[in-house]
Amino acid sequence: MIQKKICLLGAFSVGKTSLIRRYVDSLFTDKYLTTVGVKIDKKTLQVDGQDITLMIWDIAGEDDLTNIRTAYLRGMSGYILVVDGTRPHTCDTALSIHRMVRETVGDLPALFALNKADLKTQWQLDANQLKQLQQSGCPLLETSAKQDAGVEDMFHQLVRHMGV
Amino acid sequence: MDSLFASIYHTLNIAVFLRRDEQCFALQAQMPEWLMFFLGTSIAPQTCDLTDVFPYLTCFMDDAEQHWQAKRSAPLTSGVWVETNELGQELALEATALWADGQAILLLQDLGEKYRQEVSRLQQVRDGLLTQEKLENEVQKRTLKLKQREEEIAIKLVSLTSYRDEETGAHVRRIGLYAAAMAKALGWPVCQIDDIRMAAPMHDLGKIGIPDKILLKKGKLTEVEFSIMKRHTEIGAKMLQDSNIPALDMAAEIALCHHEKWDGSGYPRELHGEEIPLAARITTIVDIYDALVHERVYKKAMCEKEAVELMSSMAGAHLDPQLFRVFMELLPVMRRIRTEVHEIDDLIVSY
Repeated sequence: MIQKKICLLGAFSVGKTSLIRRYVDSLFTDKYLTTVGVKIDKKTLQVDGQDITLMIWDIAGEDDLTNIRTAYLRGMSGYILVVDGTRPHTCDTALSIHRMVRETVGDLPALFALNKADLKTQWQLDANQLKQLQQSGCPLLETSAKQDAGVEDMFHQLVRHMGV
Repeated sequence: MDSLFASIYHTLNIAVFLRRDEQCFALQAQMPEWLMFFLGTSIAPQTCDLTDVFPYLTCFMDDAEQHWQAKRSAPLTSGVWVETNELGQELALEATALWADGQAILLLQDLGEKYRQEVSRLQQVRDGLLTQEKLENEVQKRTLKLKQREEEIAIKLVSLTSYRDEETGAHVRRIGLYAAAMAKALGWPVCQIDDIRMAAPMHDLGKIGIPDKILLKKGKLTEVEFSIMKRHTEIGAKMLQDSNIPALDMAAEIALCHHEKWDGSGYPRELHGEEIPLAARITTIVDIYDALVHERVYKKAMCEKEAVELMSSMAGAHLDPQLFRVFMELLPVMRRIRTEVHEIDDLIVSY
């Protein structure tokens, strides 16, 4: 069976763990529990009749207290950069992580998830930030782990993008 | 392994492995209870591939291998990862590679309480940061609203003069936008860019104090009339000064100095070069540009090429030559502002 490692990256509290919980276990909780270190989940899916196991690495959010170890990225086939639409600086964090990943491991399939779409009326990203995301060359998807919107599509788009 | 050390490792919930080859590790001493769920009880003393059991270690083994090759006795840690045990509880684990007694050693430890304390600490810090972020966002939103209100009040104020002379509301708005574009290109801080956007449109506010028979006179002004007309700079400055509001202070400066010329032949103070406040020098350039390329009751609009040629001839005498170069570099931006900010019907007054 094909096995692929993908990583979820972004600032803290953007909803990386919630997106994985929704996708892997169909669960959601509003309570914010910070991730420390790395947690790996497995999810098997079928693409064109072929079973693929995704090893989904949930990596602790980046902030002044925690930096992403570049070693986490070894063997990665693709990654998802998560942005919290209600917190503009998480977009800058995601773009800076994207640059760091490209410098470290090169050009890999990636996409940006604009998360917390259930709070879209409270989104605060400005036109320039949206433009930067659109010009990143990666697909940009709106997601809501809470409402189960766009989550499965996000993972499947990445898998297709990885050419599996 | 020495039984004393074995006992210590067991107490500390540490599993000790010897590396057999690149993939295989042999457990030394007693297996900690937490590890049984992952390895099964029958493993010791056989070997196993730990990266199969703990996929996280795939990102650590290259570094560990180099560490062992270099025979370093200092511990190299993997960073924390989380596994779920048979009870559905989360276990925080960390691996450590070191070289001891001529052997490559890998330690696996359940961080237990130490991890829970770290999570609790980070949770508190991040909850605090989230609250702080929310408050800062709220303050920013409200500040922006206040700023927009201030700008709106300023534009309304300036529109008072629009009703008395030929200038239009769209003209004063454009002056603010051109000036802000110049300030941005010059690397001004955001708050000062906001200030000049609000301040530059007020440059002619003092015209409110000029009698209609002079302000609206169609023919050439007499010397006496012109000397009265020139007073609009000082009247505007007096109206705007001493407010302790940065944008109005800047507006007072601009109102007073926007007819000064680089070569010192301007008015009211005949200031030279950089004696003229930068905000006023910027406003002078953009005001002339906008006036030249738009039609007035007393003149036709020039095409941009003609306007720029005329302005080039003024650089160094009337206009700050260096700022004029910046203006020229920004010409596409200025053009966009000019074409996108149109006249507002209710503010157009023609005589």
